[in-house]
Amino acid sequence: MENTFNIKEGLVIQGTSFHPSRETIWEFCEASLDYNPLHWDDDYMKTDFGKTNFGGIIMHGMTNFSLITKMMTDWCLPLGGIHRRLETRWKSPVKPGDTITPSGIVKKVKKTEKANWVVVSILVTNQESKTVAEGEAMVEFQD
Amino acid sequence: MNYKYDTDFWAGNTARKIWDDIIPGEPRKTIPYTLTKEAIYKLCKSTGDMNPLYVDEDYAKTTRWGGIIAPPNIHVLLMFSCTPNDDWMRSPGTINASQSWSYNIPARPGDVITLNARALDKFIKGDRLFAIHDNVFFNQDSEVICSGRGWTIRPV
Repeated sequence: MENTFNIKEGLVIQGTSFHPSRETIWEFCEASLDYNPLHWDDDYMKTDFGKTNFGGIIMHGMTNFSLITKMMTDWCLPLGGIHRRLETRWKSPVKPGDTITPSGIVKKVKKTEKANWVVVSILVTNQESKTVAEGEAMVEFQD
Repeated sequence: MNYKYDTDFWAGNTARKIWDDIIPGEPRKTIPYTLTKEAIYKLCKSTGDMNPLYVDEDYAKTTRWGGIIAPPNIHVLLMFSCTPNDDWMRSPGTINASQSWSYNIPARPGDVITLNARALDKFIKGDRLFAIHDNVFFNQDSEVICSGRGWTIRPV
């Protein structure tokens, strides 16, 4: 098990790419119980949302959230860390056929009275290197 | 599920609170939910997160957790499984703008999970109507599993 003090600011964490399709989006509907028509109803998605028209169904934002979570736990669990927090903001919709990839960079290592905490800045980008989500995670490494 | 879950979010939509009716601070109705290995597996599979800690009991027993646990993001499912059909998070067109979650202890298969939930705030930004939902999930021993809030753009 790696000692937390080996974790330095600037460390890059790479996540796994994901290829959403109509099928994966529907699978997420069934797994999450979130059947919002944003994610499956083509006719509904032809309508305007205020000034926004998505031009078709969109992936759940919480799929992004889940992919970031996987990246963080894949990284920290083998090191003995515990994923303690994730904050995300959705910047751009993700559609079937896109390829999205999360990544992180350690921006702060902070020792408290009982643990070492690692703050990770998060980005999710699509196949055009456009940011679709951003956020911040915290991992605890207990003494 | 402990009740008939309606996957047609249009059904009963008129019973759901619109932005005007949401009262910040008012508790939302919630329903206890018993988590299963099958539900954990489905959520993990849907995003390719097949860590054996979540899906392989023999492996999970060898870890510090002593058995299968749910991944942190299990609250994605719990948000819907612990709320009734008329909860305003189901309103078609609800757009998820941002969420933040803190994790205490993992949920496990067999846990009977309860939710304390409310609208925390509502506001107007540009032409958009926002409501913030605030949620804490507990296990059967009243231990906090996770807590979080989300910024939603309400349908108009």
